[in-house]
Amino acid sequence: MKWPFLFYILCLINLAACDRQVLPDNDVQNAAIKFAIAQSPLNLDPRYATDASSERICRLIYQSLVDFDASMRPIPQLATWNAVSAQAYQFNLILSRNVFHHHEPLTADDVKATYDSLVGLKDSPHASEFANIHHIAVQNQDTLTFYLKQPDAHFAEKLIIGILPKRLIEAGHDFSRQPVGNGALAFEHWQNQLRLKRVADGQEVVFHEVKDSTVRVLKLIKGEVDLIQGDLPPELVKYLQSQPDIKVLSTTGSNFSYLGLNVQHPVLSRLKVRQALAHAIDREALIRQVMVPDTRVAGAILPPEHYAGNADLRAYTYNPRMARQLLIEAGIQLPLKLVYKTSTDAQRVRFATILQAQMRPAGIDLQINSLDWGTFFSDIKHGNFELYGLTWVGIKTPEIYEKAFGSEYFTPRGVNRGRYRDATLDAFLLEKDWRSVTLRIHQQLPYIPLWYEGQFVAFNRHIKNYAPKSDGNWDDLATISHDAH
Amino acid sequence: MKNFSYAILGVWLIAVLAGHVMHLDPNAIDLNVVLHGPSALHWLGADDLGRDLLARILSGVQVSFMVAMVVTAVTMVVGVFVGLLAGFYGGRVDQILMQITDIFLAFPGILLAIAFAAVLGPGLDNLIFALCLTGWVSYARLTRGQTMSLRNRQHVLAAQSLGATVPRLLLLHILPLIASLLVVEATYSLASVMIAEASLSFLGLGIQAPHASWGAMLRDAVRYMLVAPHYVLIVGACMMSLILAINLCGDYLRDSLDVRTEKQI
Repeated sequence: MKWPFLFYILCLINLAACDRQVLPDNDVQNAAIKFAIAQSPLNLDPRYATDASSERICRLIYQSLVDFDASMRPIPQLATWNAVSAQAYQFNLILSRNVFHHHEPLTADDVKATYDSLVGLKDSPHASEFANIHHIAVQNQDTLTFYLKQPDAHFAEKLIIGILPKRLIEAGHDFSRQPVGNGALAFEHWQNQLRLKRVADGQEVVFHEVKDSTVRVLKLIKGEVDLIQGDLPPELVKYLQSQPDIKVLSTTGSNFSYLGLNVQHPVLSRLKVRQALAHAIDREALIRQVMVPDTRVAGAILPPEHYAGNADLRAYTYNPRMARQLLIEAGIQLPLKLVYKTSTDAQRVRFATILQAQMRPAGIDLQINSLDWGTFFSDIKHGNFELYGLTWVGIKTPEIYEKAFGSEYFTPRGVNRGRYRDATLDAFLLEKDWRSVTLRIHQQLPYIPLWYEGQFVAFNRHIKNYAPKSDGNWDDLATISHDAH
Repeated sequence: MKNFSYAILGVWLIAVLAGHVMHLDPNAIDLNVVLHGPSALHWLGADDLGRDLLARILSGVQVSFMVAMVVTAVTMVVGVFVGLLAGFYGGRVDQILMQITDIFLAFPGILLAIAFAAVLGPGLDNLIFALCLTGWVSYARLTRGQTMSLRNRQHVLAAQSLGATVPRLLLLHILPLIASLLVVEATYSLASVMIAEASLSFLGLGIQAPHASWGAMLRDAVRYMLVAPHYVLIVGACMMSLILAINLCGDYLRDSLDVRTEKQI
């Protein structure tokens, strides 16, 4: 009798150990905030950062000359500016913000050194954006002027690269692993986990990489981490919403998901076929059943609240009968066979399978070809596709319309991957008549718009001052705190 | 246990046939029942796209059986052919063939299959090809050893002296004596090919959507373990029961063909 009894006692002790981690109030207030992310940042040098985690953390460590307001209009962050001429922009630094984490002042020389070094980097993915800079002239400690080779009305909006200290650039400092900026959070340590410290009050934030979504959720529920954001299937978001100790906040997003088309394909070059595809997708049902909260139907790359957005675009309704009729009118012999390329991501394959089922009644036989990311993206970049599904992430400026649909922006010069050519659209783009541009694209369908995915964050109830943002950034880590009560 | 394993195997074989008769649609999507548990309409519940789990499991087992049968048949033919040649001729032929076999044996089979599947791309044809490329070595090793021990037997030497050709010697005088061992090996191979197919599909290198495969179903089910545990449990239990039954049947087959087992009894 004695041994089974001891065994039960040990089991109870183990079960108790499996409970949530509960800390005393003082410890809660002083503890580091643990943020579970699906993918660790790859490079914290803002001149090289391209992955989502790196870009979001760079926004916290560094500050740039320019940022964006809620309607995505450029606003000063480190500097105000004015166009001296069509090819010259003068920037005046805002003095109150200009100190790096290693206590050296941020001056116009640092700005010049940052952009000079960026233009000179052959392996930076951002360097080509600034190839139009002729030279940068520093007038004084707080004033500098960018001189351009060609006029560019959107030049100021591009200056979103974090500013680095000139002395460290010249010393060849490794910003990718030991970043030094002047943002709200300062780099502290990076070995397995990235640790940052808030400059204002010393609050630490630790980033834990947890790749598996189920494990991320379990860690949050158990209290091993304090918050998670995005990268979860909608079912797990609903599951978190039902947990008493977890708070889930969501907001509308601005990342645009779409179907890309090869408009030089003999069938897809016909407008009626593209319209048929647009009418063969039941976006409402997809959003309702298999998308995260606050996902909404999209009409254009930039959302309606953007200053270049168009709220009057009407979504294509799901009407398989009309789609079938359009295909017949286009002279297509049914079923129309098309290959849809996507990545091997489970949620992407899930969408593809639903699209395949929704298009079948319209007489479209969609063949799914799910490829590893490298092969998939290489195929897309080289125009080796009929149909594909992708998402534009973090797009801020209407210049994207020119790059994605302009006749002179076929890959590799731009991102017009479907090789769409339209003289009318080119004229609208030249006039920067965004309303006409979005309407024309909506009518001609070089892309088939799907949705803007909602953004959400889930955190333990003792966390406060954090909310999701439309582009999924983590800017509120600058204000997040524990609530001891 | 013996009858139990035969019963499980029998049930699965009937299920494969029933799948054809019942005309279930494993790809019919109903977004209103996504991840719903077992009900009168969906006996085993629905998956992450609202597809009937029973229909998909039956469709998946057909694919698994088909892949296992084709791969086992191909690898057996290739492996036995290589083993017979190496064991019968010996010398340089044996050295060359066995060194090739050793190269394949040096890598873990599943890892090699993953590499081949990754290079060839996903899809059923490539999956079968990748598994065939790595599966023949065990047959080759087994056949070679047995052939070496049989080639100097009296009946083989007698047939040779009477003028029997090499193919005749191999097919009529050696192969029948090792057939029972090969059959037992094939049952183990069936189970291991099913696991390999599931593993490759689990990694996204196997059968492509929307076709059902147990490995792909398990991969999807794991994502919803917290919200729909029935999904992963049902697929896991089906896979475990079938593979366990095949392995147990292989054990009983081996015992029944082993003369020493009878003597001990």
